[in-house]
Parts: sequence; structure tokens; C-alpha cells
Amino acid sequence: MEGRILDHPILNFTRKKRVKIFFEGNEIEAYEGETVAVALHAAGIKVLRYTPINGRPAGLFCAVGKCSSCLMEIDGMPNVRSCMTKVKAGMQIRRQHEKGELV
Amino acid sequence: MMKHASVVVIGGGIVGSAIAFNLLRMGTKNVCVIEKSYVSSGSTGRCAGGIRQQWSSPMNVKLAMRSVKLFEEFEKDVGMDIEYYQGGYLLLAYTDSEVDDFEKNVRMQKSQGLDVEILTPNQIKEKFPFINVEGIKLGSWCQSDGHANPQLANIAYAIAIRKMGGEFLTHTTVTGIDVQNGQITGVQTDNGYINTEIVVDAAGFESPKIGSMIGVDIPVHGERHQILVTEAVNHFLDPLVINFNHNYYVRQTHHGSLMMGQGDANPASGEDLGNTIEFLEEMSEKMIKDFPLLKNIHIIRQWSGAYDMSPDAQPIIDESKDISRFIYATGFSGHGFMLAPAVGESVAEMIIHGRTITTDVSNLKMDRFTIGIEREHNVV
Amino acid sequence: MKEYDAVVIGGGPAGMAAAEVLGDQVKTLILDENDMLGGQLVKQTHKFFGDHAHYASTRGFEIANKFIDKIEKKPVDILTSSTVIGIYPQNTVAYVKDGHEDQVKYKKLIIATGAMERQLPFINSDLPGVYGAGAVQTLMNQYGIFPGKRFLIIGSGNIGLILAYQLAQTGVEVRAIVEALDKIGGYEVHANKAKRLGIPIFLKHTIIKAIGDESVQGAVIAEVDDKFNVIAGTEKEIVADTICISVGLMPITELAEQAKCKIVYIPELGGYVPVHDERMRTTNPDVFVAGDLSSIEEATTAMIEGKLAAMQIVEDVKKTDLEKEISNEIKTLAIFRSGPKSLKIRSGLEKMGIVTPQIEVPKFSPLPNSENGKLHAIIECTEEIPCNSCELACKFDAIKVGENINTPPVFDPLKCTGCAVCVTACPGLAIFMEKLDESPNATLGIPYEFLPLPKSNEKMWGMDRDGNYVCDLTVKRVVKNSNKTHIVYVELPKEFVDVVRHVTYPQKESPFVCRCEEITVDQIEKVIDSGITDFEEIKRITRVTMGPCGGKNCKMITLGIISRKTGIPISKLSHGTSRPPVKPVEFSAFLRGDKK
Repeated sequence: MEGRILDHPILNFTRKKRVKIFFEGNEIEAYEGETVAVALHAAGIKVLRYTPINGRPAGLFCAVGKCSSCLMEIDGMPNVRSCMTKVKAGMQIRRQHEKGELV
Repeated sequence: MMKHASVVVIGGGIVGSAIAFNLLRMGTKNVCVIEKSYVSSGSTGRCAGGIRQQWSSPMNVKLAMRSVKLFEEFEKDVGMDIEYYQGGYLLLAYTDSEVDDFEKNVRMQKSQGLDVEILTPNQIKEKFPFINVEGIKLGSWCQSDGHANPQLANIAYAIAIRKMGGEFLTHTTVTGIDVQNGQITGVQTDNGYINTEIVVDAAGFESPKIGSMIGVDIPVHGERHQILVTEAVNHFLDPLVINFNHNYYVRQTHHGSLMMGQGDANPASGEDLGNTIEFLEEMSEKMIKDFPLLKNIHIIRQWSGAYDMSPDAQPIIDESKDISRFIYATGFSGHGFMLAPAVGESVAEMIIHGRTITTDVSNLKMDRFTIGIEREHNVV
Repeated sequence: MKEYDAVVIGGGPAGMAAAEVLGDQVKTLILDENDMLGGQLVKQTHKFFGDHAHYASTRGFEIANKFIDKIEKKPVDILTSSTVIGIYPQNTVAYVKDGHEDQVKYKKLIIATGAMERQLPFINSDLPGVYGAGAVQTLMNQYGIFPGKRFLIIGSGNIGLILAYQLAQTGVEVRAIVEALDKIGGYEVHANKAKRLGIPIFLKHTIIKAIGDESVQGAVIAEVDDKFNVIAGTEKEIVADTICISVGLMPITELAEQAKCKIVYIPELGGYVPVHDERMRTTNPDVFVAGDLSSIEEATTAMIEGKLAAMQIVEDVKKTDLEKEISNEIKTLAIFRSGPKSLKIRSGLEKMGIVTPQIEVPKFSPLPNSENGKLHAIIECTEEIPCNSCELACKFDAIKVGENINTPPVFDPLKCTGCAVCVTACPGLAIFMEKLDESPNATLGIPYEFLPLPKSNEKMWGMDRDGNYVCDLTVKRVVKNSNKTHIVYVELPKEFVDVVRHVTYPQKESPFVCRCEEITVDQIEKVIDSGITDFEEIKRITRVTMGPCGGKNCKMITLGIISRKTGIPISKLSHGTSRPPVKPVEFSAFLRGDKK
């Protein structure tokens, strides 16, 4: 499932200011207050990284910063927990394929 | 539990294991290792796993070089890949007196046949562009130095010992040693009794406790050292780097994590294996300054381990002249892991042949403390 | 413009066989649009059936190489990377090479342009990921890249069956083979090779649609009735990223039509085919056809047809008498086509006026097996297909096929010395080795063409003919052969020696316990099985709980596994020490003074 819920029988969703973020160089729709993982999920991007040993696609698991399944490279920093990082204008997000690259 | 052992080794850390392994390999039967907790629970399992040959006395260099030869054969001899990596060791000098020491040491080490060389700050920068060389006057570099995984090494020995017919008891505490007419007759544990005439005390910073069971005084005490590990990143750091002046060492493991530590100004006793936040603060400042690329890397875990310190920071390997036959190998002061294979070989020779054959360790006898002390300074 | 006595269009087995014969006799040119001769052979990694003269037991691409070697030694002009674009008046062949067009004139022409894949339209059959079987083979066998990871194959003819096996050899997953008929289209031995790998073959099924947005992500298949109508309610979804269409080939007749050859529609031969006589001459007396263009068959028949056409051309041009040789080839072709698998071809050819002489295939009567404690072969080939590779391979006369190579082989266990050469020669991988005596275990030898090659003392799983697990077994030794059909000898309980026909590494998919360090339940259990039951020691060997989450997500599960395996309640197990920081923190967070 992708996209954002517009109408809900019980809840009222109001979006805040729209923010421009970039995934692998492409612009993604995001709203202030959302985390990187949420914005990506709404855009249909569920594979957040590929595991270093087995190369398996991995994404969200606990969504609350307790598991390290959602690690991504954000603004050049590797191993960032995307479910805990709020979106910021101009943010550059990439999938990590191995372990973090420093050099 | 065997009823009668030809040798009981107290302490299942890397030194005790190496000794037992060599005894069995040299043909001794009925060897029993007694470990009070799980394999690698002591200092061995907590250390950073560095393996270097750059020491300041010829005999230490010889022992370390022999150890490296054995580490090179470890997988073949003991049967497990312990992530041994000869990525080198880089020691850094910041002061004139350090420079003098390094140059003196390198001359001596070279005369022992070690592949060591002096590096200028420019050469260091070229080899390792990510190091901040500000303030560095000199470096000493030995390619055949390296590191390994001490936990795997300890476990590898334990498995091999069992495979060769030896016994490796865990979660078993020695409660007493029986002596009759100056001759050892047996070892009491909380799990049973073993008859034996030969006991090896390889109990690390608790070796004095064992010694005191039979009235042997061992001048070793435990000093807590803290250590931390980061998340894994792609491999970029080959050598283990020691910075005596800034007081830290750092290396990158096979897994990709960075492991680092320092010497605390007022270290807690080895019994206290807790942690301080100051350690993380101090290490962070140092790391960010000297390795700027690590600024945003995450610390995953900190822990601590005890160095079994001797008065001159050198190991004590000897056999008691009063109680027959009580051998002790302790006081490794932070370099036990790297010397263990050679120590294991030498001590096993001492036990079987009455003297060492391969590497002379007579400079490590206990009587040096009455004769005169020369401290090993290259310690962090 | 250059003039040739004979021009051959198409460098596959038919064209090459023709050029080999023509080269010594008349001025010959052979053209092919690919950058090397060989046609479809270059993509084939399996051993071919047939007899000695027709490269039996040789792998397709090796046959191509041998042929090319032979032809290069003859005075034949070879033009590769040359696409023939048309046949023009006055016996002119026009072709394009390197962006330039050129022409040649022929006295006699052989068109051996082969066939192409039939299309099968279904919803989303245009998605990236739907390929013809040939395309998959090109990517995989010629260029060495994975066309995908999970395959669905439509069509159980020889091509689909061979493709399934070739894919499995590269290590990718073949989810299923789908066949609309109620029986497998290809040879039994090809089907068996795929079945014992566990690849299911859904008979009476067809594909309804492919699923996916940017490329294939799955497919829907369903059962069909005798009229090939979909039976509602039988739809199944299959996860796949590549769908291979191998529902048959059809001849490419364009050039033949341009050469004024009469074309007829004969479905038994593959569709529209040029009319020809038994010497492959078309209604245009100067034009011959050979290979899949004349009828969809095999490489062997293509080679013979190529030879026939060539010999007839030599007779035409040089007026030599080759009647004896031509009769021989026609007889050989008849023998090849005498089995039941060739019934369709024979009836198709009859419609064209070619009557294949009826040749009896002798009745098959296998000799009884004997358990004598010796290692001997077991031949599981009971279908009448034109092949005698096993007879050729056996130096001890233990295997008999006879003059009609469609006869299933008859095996004499008394003459068998256990040398196993037949096992490696059999293109169908249908021969196994067996040794039975009074002991509870038996020895079984299995032809093996996969990586990694098993090693002595390895524990593996024995699989039955349908690819189901039967028993655990141990590898005793592996005999490597230069033709890449190796033999794995295993020891297994004697009850299963007639049941096991394949070995695999234990492939239990194990769930991940530790996401940070990618440790599975299996890995932890293995360490416990080796005698290490202390949580701390297990942790240090496997790295479980040592990742960035600090063991929050995996420690309980690990303790549960230890408890289950050792019987010690969790409450009595040591559960390690908690160390700060409990969440990962960057070094820069500790800097005092300057804020980030």
C-alpha cells in the first residue's frame, strides 16, 4: 500500500508544510513532522537498504528506533535510523548496500 | 571431571588455554583446565585483540615474534579462523623523548629481524590520509603486526583441547589446593576434587588469590581498562594505531567496527568491571580530533576488562621453588593475548622438559623484582 | 558482384553441415547474422542425443566449436555479422554487414535460417521480464548474466525442460513449468532432470496474466479444460520476476518465399514450411532448405538435412554420382525418425509427399538386475528416442542399443565393470551407479552438474524423482570428469537406493533471529549442536545480540532456542550483561563547547 490516507471515518489528518527531500537523487513528497521512513513508505519505497552479509532487502521493522533495521545513508552519514529522523528541506537520502562508507 | 590429572591449569583464558593446548600437543595426557565462568569471560574476552612485536626489550621482541609465527599458523594448528589480520601497527610519537625512544627501539627491533621502519609525518599522511598528523613528530610502523578476535581464539583453544582428550571445565571455581610435604596433591573445586601433582596458575588478575592458597606471593593486581566499540563501517583502517601521547589505541575489526580504549588516569580496581560516561566523553574528543572522519559514527557499546598488572608491566612466568610443582604465568599487563601462543609453548616445555626450548623466557622470572626493575614503557 | 556455386544462408547445425560437405567440392559461401557461426548451438550447455557421427554426448556449444574448426579448414568463404535482407531476381542474395549493403550471386542456394519463438499473448505479456526462452539462454549462457531470480516457464517441450535445468544450474529458482496439454511435451529424461530438482510441472495449466508495475513481479496461472478454456476458480498466483515463453518454434520462411518457394501450412512441422522433397529441394529447383526451417526438429536431423541438400547440390553442379551417400543419409534420417516421438514429423512430411520408410524399433526387454555386491550401472531410459550414447560409451559391451538408435538400451549387469563412463556420457543424465550388499547402507552414484561440487564426507539430502526429500546421506567421493558431468557417490540406507535420484545441500530456509548481524535460527542451533550451550559463548561465536540494537530484539529468542535445545528453563540461563549506551550515539554528541 502506498500513498497517504486522505479520508478516514474516525481520524482527521491535516498535513503541515510541504518539504522537498531527495531519495537517490529523485524528489519525494514529504511533510514537516514526518520521518524519513514514513515519507519514503508513502512514496511506495519500502526497501530501505540491502543487508551487508546476505544482500537481502530490508525495511522498517519496529518503526520506533529500537531495532536498526531501517538504517540509511542520510546527508552523507551512514547507518542513520530513518524511522527516527525527521525530514528536512533538501535532505539527501540513499540506500546503504554494504556497511557505511567513510573513505 | 577427571579423577586424576597430570596437569591442572587454573584459568581458562587465552594463556591457560594456550598452555593446556601445547601440553596436549606435546603428548601430555590428562590435562584439565578449570575456568570459573564461561570461555572468554575474563580479560581475554574483553581485550581489543592487538598483536604486536614492537617492544622495548630484545627478549620481549623475541617472544612476540615467536607468537606472531604461531598466530600465522593458528587456523591450521588449532582449527578455527580467528580473523587474524596482519594489517600492521602504527605507533605515534609526539615529543622529543618519544622520538628518542622510538628510534632506539626500532634499531633494536631491526637487529632482532623485525620488519619495522620509521615513518615521517608526511609518510604517515600518505599512507593514512584520514589521520590528522598535526603534532606528530614520528611514527614507527611494522607490517607484520596485526590483530585477531580474542574471543574466537579462546573458544578455538577450548574446542581443540576437548578434541585432543583434555578437559575444559567451565563454571567451576577452585576453592583450594592441597599440599603435603611441599608437594601438591590435588585441587578442590565447587564441582569436585581432582588429584594432581602439577598446577598452573593462569588466573589473570586473580592469580594472587590462587597463589595465596598455597602461600605463594604473586605481585599482580587488577587494573580496570575501559573499551568501546562502534557500529560497523566498510573497511578503511588496516593497522592498529597507538597514540601514547593522546593516550588511546584504535583498530577496526573484521566485522567493520572500530574498537578503542585508553589508560584511565586513576583506574578502578580490576574487580570493578563497570563503566563511566567520562570514558566516552574523553574518547570522543580524541577520536574526532585525530580521526575527523569518525565524527558521526555511532558508539554501540562500552565495557571493561582487567589488566593483570605486574610491578614492571612485564609478564611473570616462573615455577615456585618452595611448592612442587606450582607454575604461574600471569601479570601480562595488557599484552597477554598477543603473547599467549608463544607463552603456551614455552610453559608447556618448562613443564615437560624442565626448561624452555623454543623461546627463552628467563627474563620474566619472579626473582627480577628483587634483583632490579626495568619497566616496559610501550604500554597503553 | 561475387558469384558462388553454393550460398548457404544460416550458420546453425544445418548450414554448417552443408558447408562442410560443399566446401571441398564447389565454391561456397556461408553467411550468418551473428558474430560467430553455430546458431542456437552456442547457447546450449547440455549434451546432445544422437549417435557418434552426430556428436552425441557433446555439449551444444562444443559441437558448434568443433564444426567451426572443421569448416575453417575448408576453402569456404565465411561471412559473419552479415544479415541477409532479401533474395532478389537473378539469384541474388543481398546482405548488410557493418552498415554496408552488398550482394552475391548463387548457382544453388541453401536456406537454413531456422525458426523463432512463438508468441503467447496474455495480459501484461509486454512487461519487462517476459522473455522468449532463447533470450534467457542468450543472457545466461552467452553473456553470463542472471536474467532474473525467480522464473516461471511456459511450455514443457524440450526447450522449456532444458531451460529449467540450465537455469537451476546457475543457482536461480525455477518456480514452475506450466503446460497446457495433459502430458509433458519433451523427452522423459529431460523432464526427469527438472523434476528431481523439485521443479513442479503443472499440466493442463496456462498463464492468464503477468503482474507488475515496472517489470514482472508475478503471474497468475489457471487450469484449462480439454478445449484449452480456463476453468474459473483454479487461478493461482506465482511470485516470479521472469516469465519464459517456450511454447514452440515456428520456421522463418520469409527468404524462402522471396526465392519463390511454395509455402504450405503443416502444423505438425511447425507451421508454414517450404515444400521440399526428400533431398531438401524446394519447388524452386535451385533452392534447398534444411534444419528447423524445413521442420521443427533437432540439431541431429538439421545436420543430416544440411548434408543431404549439400550432396544433392554437388550432384547438380559437378554431375558426380552421390546416390549411395544420399541414400545412406536418407536411411539415417529414417532411423532417427522411427521412434514414437517423431510420429508428428512423419505425418507432417507425408502431407508434403515425403514418405518415411517404416523402420521397426525392436521391442525393449530389459535384463533382470542382479545384486552381487558390485558397483554397476542402472539405466533409467525407457523412451524411444534416437540416441545411443550409452552404447558408444561402454567399452565392455554391457549396453546394447543396436542399429535402430531409437531402441531403449538393454543393460547386461554381468558384463558391467562399474567404470561409470556411461553415466557421464548419457545426455539425459538417466544412468546411475549402484552397489548393494548385506550391509545396511548402499552406494549410489549420481550424475551431477551443479556448483558447488560436493566434497567427501559432506552431509547432504537425498531427493526422489519429484524433488522431495527422502533421507540424509553422506558423500563418499566425487569423480570429476572433463566433460563436466561429474559423479557424486553417496552412502545411504539401502531402502532408498531405488528412490533417491538427486542430492542437494540441506536447504531449510531458516528465519533470521538477529537482524543487525543477520544470524538465523539455524546458525544458532548449529553452534549449540556442536556442544556450545552457554549463551555468552554462543554470542561470541555467532555475534548474535552484538549488533547496534544491543540484543533488544534477539536476546529473548536466542535464550528460547537455547532453552529448547538444552531443556534448561530460561529462568536458569545466564542472560548476559547490559552495557551502555543503550542506543547508538555519535562521537560528536559528546563534544563539549562547540555544538554540532
